[in-house]
Amino acid sequence: MNGLLYTTIQLASTGGVATITLNRPQRLNALNAVMIGELRHALKAVTDSPALRCLLLTGTGRGFCAGADLVEPGGTSASGRDTGDVIAERMDAMWNPLMRDLAALPIPVVVAVNGPAAGGGVGLALTGDIVIAAKSAYFAMVFGPQLGLVPDLGSSWLVPHLAGLGRAAALALTGERFSAKAAAATGLIWRCTEDAALLPEATRIAERLSRGPTAGLKLIKQALAQSWQNSLEQQLGLERELQRQAGDTADFVEGVAAFQAKRQPIFKGQ
Amino acid sequence: MSFETITLDIKDHVATLTLNRPERLNSFNNRMHEELRAALQQLGDARCLVITGAGRGFCAGADLSEQKPPAPGQSLDLGAALEKQYNPLIKTLRDLPLPTVAAVNGPAAGAGMSLALACDIILAARSASFLQAFCNIGLVPDAGSTYHLPRLIGRQRAAGMALLGEKLPAETAAAWGLVWKCVDDDKLMSEAGAMAAKFASGPTKGLALIKQALQKSWDHDLSQQLDLERDLQRQAGRTEDFMEGVTAFIQKRPARFKGR
Repeated sequence: MNGLLYTTIQLASTGGVATITLNRPQRLNALNAVMIGELRHALKAVTDSPALRCLLLTGTGRGFCAGADLVEPGGTSASGRDTGDVIAERMDAMWNPLMRDLAALPIPVVVAVNGPAAGGGVGLALTGDIVIAAKSAYFAMVFGPQLGLVPDLGSSWLVPHLAGLGRAAALALTGERFSAKAAAATGLIWRCTEDAALLPEATRIAERLSRGPTAGLKLIKQALAQSWQNSLEQQLGLERELQRQAGDTADFVEGVAAFQAKRQPIFKGQ
Repeated sequence: MSFETITLDIKDHVATLTLNRPERLNSFNNRMHEELRAALQQLGDARCLVITGAGRGFCAGADLSEQKPPAPGQSLDLGAALEKQYNPLIKTLRDLPLPTVAAVNGPAAGAGMSLALACDIILAARSASFLQAFCNIGLVPDAGSTYHLPRLIGRQRAAGMALLGEKLPAETAAAWGLVWKCVDDDKLMSEAGAMAAKFASGPTKGLALIKQALQKSWDHDLSQQLDLERDLQRQAGRTEDFMEGVTAFIQKRPARFKGR
């Protein structure tokens, strides 16, 4: 697959920032098999380009992502097989690998939620390291109340860890729309902006991160990702190991030199 | 040991530990680590510990002006300093069998912020701020920040602070639940003093068990935590202070706890 031939997403790069835009606006950027394949391909291309030091993910049109495309041919249709088995197989083959690829990305991920994120779109949005949303955007966990399903694409893990168990239960059981403003006020996302300010703000953050100490930022992501599974004792040990690695980077030497000389550091990402 | 970089004052069962290198915003150096270690072992009859900073800062973290670049071809082991100095300090604070209060009087940055987060209750002056400065020099948040931050403010805010390295004002920190309360600058020490006095006449053993229960909470599922509560309550129920608490309740008078 050649990046230029993507039909459901766009991949572009400016400076050190790679931008992936979900591009099925007629379906509110719902995920289908082609899109998942293209997303995984694009993520690999970004990972393989060391000059790209931050990923910005957003959507075209009025939605961010409506989750799984339920009208996709063969989507959940019966082929004489147990529907649950079919769904689980698809999660193993497509959805979960996509989420694991995203979580394992060694550079910061900024997500600009330009409109509604529903169902699996919620999980996709919230895997970002920094998530900002336009004021008109909202998050809706439609799985249970509308489909009798369980929140997936990681959202049953992400939402309680971001906004607490009480809010997670209410959002998952009622499927109520959670406004971008409420999401920011409760820590589900980093910030909510005016609609017109979303992309400029996301780009500003992404550009800044792309000039950061990329190797160190990767270690920070790792420390935070493992935090929840560790006791304080274990986490202190992990911090020691990661700081050992961070202390050996050229960017740390530059950071200290810049601090002592009272100037801005120039990080190379190494 | 006579102290140069901190002061320790114990009065009416309240120990007040003041970081005292105001010219360097109370940043940590080797001497301060030694003195902190010594001070935390001589809290005597204290039933509450207050940590604050002298001058306009709380603590600026590691003193980078003392950081020398590695010799050519040498690798710098920052992990060793954590192992020897910071990690034991954080574990000691966690395990202290009395409530700890951080009175954050000004900027708390890097490991200085981690120090505050390791206390049970954080009070912050309105002009104080919190900064995960590590990413600004290519490092990873340490001294327990990557443990405490997500648990205090959730994953997204932790990632934002840790990856962007921007100052968080005390008022936002209070709104997010990072700190217990943000108070006017000139009220900080009186608020901290009032809280410390309350703890100093509290059921110290029971309070220490509460600390334990909350700390273990994150590692447990509900069923394991119910068992832990049973075990801790067994211990709490055997204290003199529990007997006094019940008696005072029945007699409709304030309890006089002895911390036993």
